[in-house]
Amino acid sequence: MEQLIIFLILIAVGYTAGTINEKKHYKAIEAREQAFLIMPAVTFWKASMTNAVILKAELVSGNAVIAVDYFKQFLAGLRKIFGGPVRSYESLLDRARREAILRMKEAAGNASIIVNVRIETSTIGQSGRRQNATCVEAIAYGTALTIER
Amino acid sequence: MKYTPRLPRINDNVTPGSPVREFLVLMGGVLGLILGIYIILGLMVDFAVPRISLETEQRIAGYFSRLTDTAEKHSTRVAYLQTLTDQLKARCAPLPYEVKVNVSENQGTNAVALPGGAIIVFSGLLEKMTSENELAFVLSHELGHFHHRDHLRAMGRGLVLMVLAAFLFGSDSSTGDLLSQFIGITELGFSRIQEKRADEFGVSVVSCFYGHMTGSTDFFEKIKQSEDPSRFGRYFTSHPELEERIRHILDYGREKAYSFGCLKPLPEQAEHRIKVSTSIDEPQPTLSKPRN
Repeated sequence: MEQLIIFLILIAVGYTAGTINEKKHYKAIEAREQAFLIMPAVTFWKASMTNAVILKAELVSGNAVIAVDYFKQFLAGLRKIFGGPVRSYESLLDRARREAILRMKEAAGNASIIVNVRIETSTIGQSGRRQNATCVEAIAYGTALTIER
Repeated sequence: MKYTPRLPRINDNVTPGSPVREFLVLMGGVLGLILGIYIILGLMVDFAVPRISLETEQRIAGYFSRLTDTAEKHSTRVAYLQTLTDQLKARCAPLPYEVKVNVSENQGTNAVALPGGAIIVFSGLLEKMTSENELAFVLSHELGHFHHRDHLRAMGRGLVLMVLAAFLFGSDSSTGDLLSQFIGITELGFSRIQEKRADEFGVSVVSCFYGHMTGSTDFFEKIKQSEDPSRFGRYFTSHPELEERIRHILDYGREKAYSFGCLKPLPEQAEHRIKVSTSIDEPQPTLSKPRN
């Protein structure tokens, strides 16, 4: 019985705190993405830019770790029984990727463009024998080019 | 034409929709599924139990020997309980079992019936006993469990539960633990009916043995006073609420026209012996301190 109460509290806390955090995070992500629109991040690794003079080229990276809340984790556990898209983890990965790209752009300073961008994800913070992911990490890296205009 | 960078209007990577709704739908599905399987398997257990032979039960009982081994074997109180149980069984409760009574040093006020015909009485319960009739009722109640083979039923359902949880979620998962807890609560509901039947059996044995049913409800009256009412209300008590049980026993006695009579005290020497673990081999103390 005590465990059931603890579970309900965890679910409620997980849901409220998770939802509030997510809303706040998305707001921040969207505002920063808007500000960084002038710095494209593309996946080309080869492109001919005959007239461009490259002043500087450097590796930039950004990473972000987002923790799953109890509600999302439990929901994913239920989803695993029936199959289908795990919607509760979608926003988690989306936030981690976008946050990582934003941090990469922030690291690029005054660069004109970031090319050859790669994004990788991994789970970290797995506890014990339980196979559930507790945190998702996304790392974005690429080559920041500063081009003379 | 000049290119103007723009953010995408909608996020294709996140499916819209309420997660709460998803949660309720999935949870309902899981609970429904488990309850369905559980009921079916439970019915199968109920079907199988009367068909399990005593030999098979003895073999199953081997797994429980760990429990009975830790209990004390040769003390006066065990001997006294054994004699009383044997008399009850011989005169009023013909069972195909060879019932062995043991005492376990445990503060809980409880007694359990294990497969193979073992009754374990907790010393906490013995301390509360004031008359032989009262004790006879507790023992007869456990004999009732053997009569209905509730101990096998309980074991079978418990097994079904564990297998289900392990099958669905793996043997080590918080989701599984939780759901098995939930079903565990439902399981208590099933056991209420069994407790009621065992009570009926107990009171009929007591009435047959002593010629009257007085003392049958004494034990419940006592724990009613000493234990605070269950913290989480009616649904979560394993034994149906004591009031209800007492009423049921009295109703049942009235229906069967059992009479009332005088209580038989515990045998003078057993009075203190029953409450303190003493080996038969040891010399008995001449004076015992009265217990508070």
